[in-house]
Amino acid sequence: MNQTVVSYLAQYEFFDFLVAIFKNNQSLLSFLIYLIFALLIVGMCATIGGLGTYAERKISADIQARIGPNRVGPYGLLQFLADGVKMIIKEDIMPATADKMLFYLAPLLCLTGVFATLAVLPFAGGFIMTDLNVGIFYLVAISSLVGVGVFLGGYASNSKWSMLGGMRGASQIISYEIPVTISILAITLLAGGMGFGTIVSNQGGLPHQWFMFHNPFAFLATFVYFVGALAETNRAPFDLPEAESELVSGYHTEYTGMRFGFFALAEYIEVFVVCGVATALFLGGYNIPGLDIDILPLQAIQFTIFMTKTLLLYYVVIWIRWTFPRLRVDQLMSICWKYLTPIAIFNLVGCAIWMVAFNGKSIAELVFGSH
Amino acid sequence: MMSLASYLIISMVLFVVGLMVMIARKNIVAILLGIELILNAAALNFVAYSRYVTSNLDGHIFSLFIIVVAAAEAAVGLAIVIRFFQIKETIHVDEATQLRN
Amino acid sequence: MFLQFLFISSAILTLACTVAVLVTKNLMHSCVFLLGTLVGMAGLYATLGADFVAVTQIMVYMGGVVILMLFAVMLTGGKDFVSRAQNLLGLPASMGNKWTYSMGIFVGVVFILTNVKLLSSIIKTTPTKTIGNDFPSTVTQLGHLLVKDHVLAFEISSVLLLGALVGAAIIARPRKQN
Repeated sequence: MNQTVVSYLAQYEFFDFLVAIFKNNQSLLSFLIYLIFALLIVGMCATIGGLGTYAERKISADIQARIGPNRVGPYGLLQFLADGVKMIIKEDIMPATADKMLFYLAPLLCLTGVFATLAVLPFAGGFIMTDLNVGIFYLVAISSLVGVGVFLGGYASNSKWSMLGGMRGASQIISYEIPVTISILAITLLAGGMGFGTIVSNQGGLPHQWFMFHNPFAFLATFVYFVGALAETNRAPFDLPEAESELVSGYHTEYTGMRFGFFALAEYIEVFVVCGVATALFLGGYNIPGLDIDILPLQAIQFTIFMTKTLLLYYVVIWIRWTFPRLRVDQLMSICWKYLTPIAIFNLVGCAIWMVAFNGKSIAELVFGSH
Repeated sequence: MMSLASYLIISMVLFVVGLMVMIARKNIVAILLGIELILNAAALNFVAYSRYVTSNLDGHIFSLFIIVVAAAEAAVGLAIVIRFFQIKETIHVDEATQLRN
Repeated sequence: MFLQFLFISSAILTLACTVAVLVTKNLMHSCVFLLGTLVGMAGLYATLGADFVAVTQIMVYMGGVVILMLFAVMLTGGKDFVSRAQNLLGLPASMGNKWTYSMGIFVGVVFILTNVKLLSSIIKTTPTKTIGNDFPSTVTQLGHLLVKDHVLAFEISSVLLLGALVGAAIIARPRKQN
């Protein structure tokens, strides 16, 4: 049985009280709890995606010694709302020779692929929609829908820029899925399970208990995962599918209004998701340092810890974008196939050997004895 | 509603449509689509029987291997299609009349 | 309740997209409908309690096979897509003509009749009760089965995948035309 947010809440007494209110109709109650949590998570992540555009502009301005958006709201904080309203009221233009069905479908596929991953993202011990026992595998699988969306977006627009951007995007996403998945596989070896609950609870709050510092191979796997994730989300320095100087704006050149907004939103939320996955897999997840109990009021602290780590990684992603120049296409592919994939396979084998040789003990446990 | 029979009927429809796609289409890629449908119908049958008739997971293993074989088949098949297109400039299946080249 | 809903919606998605694969005129749309079929199949696996198979289905087909097929369609466009329409249904030449379609429908009808004859005896004795508890985790058991009972098939499939990888790369590599 998978642990879900409902089964987590059911351990507490007030759940019986809620069941009594709903006249023992437990399935309706579970449905309502799922609905509320789904709306909460989607709303929160959509806001984070929106604030991501603001953060991107503000941080880039900081790096380039400019001021950045500062007109709408305090410190320009409401800029993303203004942008959103602008996108909604813009005219929705479709090229005359576009493939109508696929043109409408592509942004929705992107958005679906990203939002479906939020179901298994572990925000806190109980604040996780459903702790599937194939959690991380599900996340990797469902996020490959983004690749189909990008490809179809490029094809359906019937424009050369879009076509090139879409083909680059799809080939980049399916290539970089390999090192990312193999790095994740190394971590599932260490954790002994694919569910996010298992993975996070096998780590601790302090850095020496994280999987990142479990052994040298896992340390390398962290960086392989992070570089691969940057490429999978089409972020700089791997933003070839939407390289402005060559392809205008890549696969979403022909999209206007809210359809373009869907692509942009999907991209920013996907960055958040891959940062959250990196936090859960390598950086200890929501574990509170030095505290091993799990009660309801601590959920807020766990949530804060998770969000702090994730948003720090988010900052690093934006920082990288405004620091490094873009790669060439051949360099992109040779980095994936000649460097990252062999390193990732080496890490996987190394982790397996480490688990056998040292009986699953981490470096810290070997050096300082069991903690 | 949910019984072995309904899964068998769905699987039958998938198989028949896959067969019809293979016969009706003249495009090699479309024929490969039909093969995928047929393989999926077989995999669904295995999992359904493993759920309703036997009590072990051998059916799951079989469908996993079917998925693996389907992926390998798609990769090699599409490579052949692309090579065929480089030579003949078409992927009409009636043009594939010689084994050489 | 939830399972019934999931079953009905996945079955409708699967069947509708399957029929659409057959009747649509555009090969690109065919591939996208195939994607719908495969996602619906993953939902059906989920209703059968096969969580690992369902996710593998999504992973392999959505992330691999369908994108590969879309690439193949795009790389082999050529003159087949210039409309050499052959009357019935106004299909492009490579999407079949009335002879192939009537042949396909004939074979389909024969197959359906045969299957109905076979299924009708099965349906009378069909078990509607599932075996085992509702949703056990299959991941651990599958892992044990793969490296114990079915280890030979597992290794052979890894050799098959390696062969397919090398073979596909060799077949599709660019060569000088002579």
